[in-house]
Amino acid sequence: MGRLNINQKTAEALISFKNVSKSFGATKALINCNIDFKMGEIHSLVGENGAGKSTLGKIILGAYKLDSGQMLIEGKESQINSPVQSVNLGLVGISQELSLLPSRTVVDNIAMGRELTSGFFVSSKKTKEKVLSVMNRFNLFLNPDSIVGSLSVAEQQKVEILRALNSNARLIVFDEPTARLASNETEQLHFLVNSLAKTGTTIIYISHFLEEVLSISDRISLLRNGQLIRTNIAKKETKKSLIEGMTGKEEGNLFPKIKPVSKNSETILQVSNLTRKNEFEKISFEIKRGEIVGLSGLVGSGRSELALTIFGDKKPDKGKINFYGKEIKNNSINKSIDMGIAMVPESRRTQGLILARSLIENISLPYLKKFSSIYGVNKKKEKVDVIEACNKTTVKHNGVDFEVQYLSGGNQQKILFAKAAMGKPRLLIADEPTRGVDIGAKKSIYELIAKLSDVGESVLLISSEIEEIIGMSNRVLVMSRGKLSAELEGSAINKKTIMEATFKN
Amino acid sequence: MNIIELSRKYGIAVITISLFLILALTTEGFFTERNIRNLLDQQSTILIAASFMTIVIISGNFDISISAIFVVAPLFALNIENATGNVLLSVFGGVGLGIILGAFNAIVVTYFKVNSFIATLATSFMFFGFGYLISDRSLMRPVTDTYQQIARTKFFDITSATWIALITVIIASILLTRTRFGRNVFATGGNQEAARLAGINVPMVQATTFILLGASAALAGIVNSSRSISAQPSDDFSFVFSVLTAVIVGGTSIMGGKGAIWRTVAAAFFLAFMNNGFNLLQVDPLWQRIILGLVIVIAVALDSWSQRKNV
Ligand SMILES: Nc1ncnc2c1ncn2[C@@H]1O[C@H](COP(=O)(O)OP(=O)(O)OP(=O)(O)O)[C@@H](O)[C@H]1O
Ligand SMILES: [Mg+2]
Repeated sequence: MGRLNINQKTAEALISFKNVSKSFGATKALINCNIDFKMGEIHSLVGENGAGKSTLGKIILGAYKLDSGQMLIEGKESQINSPVQSVNLGLVGISQELSLLPSRTVVDNIAMGRELTSGFFVSSKKTKEKVLSVMNRFNLFLNPDSIVGSLSVAEQQKVEILRALNSNARLIVFDEPTARLASNETEQLHFLVNSLAKTGTTIIYISHFLEEVLSISDRISLLRNGQLIRTNIAKKETKKSLIEGMTGKEEGNLFPKIKPVSKNSETILQVSNLTRKNEFEKISFEIKRGEIVGLSGLVGSGRSELALTIFGDKKPDKGKINFYGKEIKNNSINKSIDMGIAMVPESRRTQGLILARSLIENISLPYLKKFSSIYGVNKKKEKVDVIEACNKTTVKHNGVDFEVQYLSGGNQQKILFAKAAMGKPRLLIADEPTRGVDIGAKKSIYELIAKLSDVGESVLLISSEIEEIIGMSNRVLVMSRGKLSAELEGSAINKKTIMEATFKN
Repeated sequence: MNIIELSRKYGIAVITISLFLILALTTEGFFTERNIRNLLDQQSTILIAASFMTIVIISGNFDISISAIFVVAPLFALNIENATGNVLLSVFGGVGLGIILGAFNAIVVTYFKVNSFIATLATSFMFFGFGYLISDRSLMRPVTDTYQQIARTKFFDITSATWIALITVIIASILLTRTRFGRNVFATGGNQEAARLAGINVPMVQATTFILLGASAALAGIVNSSRSISAQPSDDFSFVFSVLTAVIVGGTSIMGGKGAIWRTVAAAFFLAFMNNGFNLLQVDPLWQRIILGLVIVIAVALDSWSQRKNV
């Protein structure tokens, strides 16, 4: 494992951190970090949620200012005060949370701030040509005139990458770039990252996928609670050593034991011939009480649309949904929540969280009825329940009254889970529930899912991670181009069968 | 919490109290019972509408049409009063009209999905027009003596206008901070999509905010007409600007999702104290405007500066 095409001894450091610290209020995000990023190396950062990885990246990108210590650029001490300054120095990033203008075109977004002009005016022709040439050079194509808001998450990710590539970057920070990508797209990204590094660009790669990190990196730095534990050559690390370094504990089994469901367990959800034009057609399946059903398939295969339809957000054109023997007619989200269906949506920023509000308000939002009387919301009881939900889902926070936007990405994801779990749902629909969460949190989310099924609650688990599907499901459904292409059970569940069904026409 | 965080949170209250103390200590005639009572009375109409305007803005919308409702509702109330001599009925009628006009705004915004700023600017003209229509383009006066008692009755030496404002502020605050509706307002303004996926009926929440604001603007208009014992049709937009100034100087985010009614109240008094201080100190009205404008800019800039993340 490990890629090593640069001479580690001689390569010069592009960026060096000397004793860098950064706090947010009482939270110490980075403590006395010494770390350097050499020219042309792929340097990965790993660590649990909240370890300080994004903070480190954001300091380089000028989004945060360091509290103490120094940042050297090519050996010279430099003060970066704004993102513009970083971009001018060739330091760019692809953020963990997408930051695009949804109502503008692909070209507009990629060229934002870097439009080409003829004379005094912006030339859309020249700008577009430039963008197309970047697409050509890196073999990364998108319709330049599409409106970004209408693209899939993976495609939006490509827009972000192209935007970074459009700026002659010397260093690119990739903050969890593959969390939203399907596996073939991930490969493409790795290829891209490698070729960028070969041309001398420094890559800082932040990811929770340890195999990915091990195979792609030259060096890996391990962070834990804001402290640098070690920087090491990737070849000298293993998945086990990384996990132990990140958590300070020994690696256990990632997936809990999933109990089989008995054949005569009651059917709770029955979907028959469900169709929505241009999204999915003739989908029929059922879920039993206590069963975990994995739903696999590419992003864009209709998985999320199907999930939203079952959840009551979209109306089916044809077909029926039965829940606990009753047909759901005129479905609505409100009805679904009342019946005991909960959902962890695909995108935490746009669909899941109200960033400027507190943990409490976010988590209890769907279940406020429970705490309300004519005297209003019973805040005491609400707080108790919210804290319990946070503990159950191991959210790391400074208090439930703080705004959600100050949590690290992975902890934000856990909030969604806390929110769903708080309703004690009979059916949980989880769309990519572990996106961007660290190994420890993943494990606790898996354990939570297993616990739910133990007490008779059912789970529809949608995921792009095949290991997750295999490790967690009693039964697996695969979707391809809007149709159910396979239903697998027992020993038929393996990587090969799932992949085959995924790409079936 | 350290000083910076405290001032960030309670800045507007601190500024208002400081101004109060400075004026009380330095300006002859400011801290007298009469002056303070007058100030409270004068602010009542703005406070009545501004509490619910705060809610509309937190939910992510704007309502320009409250000026027109402020004008047309008392005309309608006086029509009823003139015809029946029944003041209670006229108040219900006026507030009822406010509810209907608020509901009309709500339909345009939530059903036809017109941007609320544009929608309520357009409906303003309609509502102003109704005012001319129902008043025969002329000044109207109450025929009973009771009508002027709506705003002028005194309880414990304080006018009923002030009491009505106090009660409205309290009701609006309770709605916003203690009820499910309030939470839904914050959620809707903070992230509509997430609110929808949490099972909140977003159009219903937004419609409710418009209807409540319509009712409160109508009530403010009636209180105002009772105080001046008359009502007159006009195209005067100034009421909405006074209300918006209080809400925005108070620090409620025009992006939605953030804000509080106590902030609006504090800002309304800050602006009132300033105005009052100017008058007592006999500052040239020309300079009053320039300074007022400057103060608004500073207040808003300070707020956005202090709200910025500590990076
Ligand atoms: N703007 C901010 N304000 C307050 N606290 C912050 C802010 N940004 C980050 N933090 C805190 O700093 C710590 C480090 O956060 P950071 O985002 O760097 O974590 P991370 O390693 O990227 O985690 P993840 O894997 O979840 O993305 C966390 O405890 C987080 O809550
Ligand atoms: Mg992060």
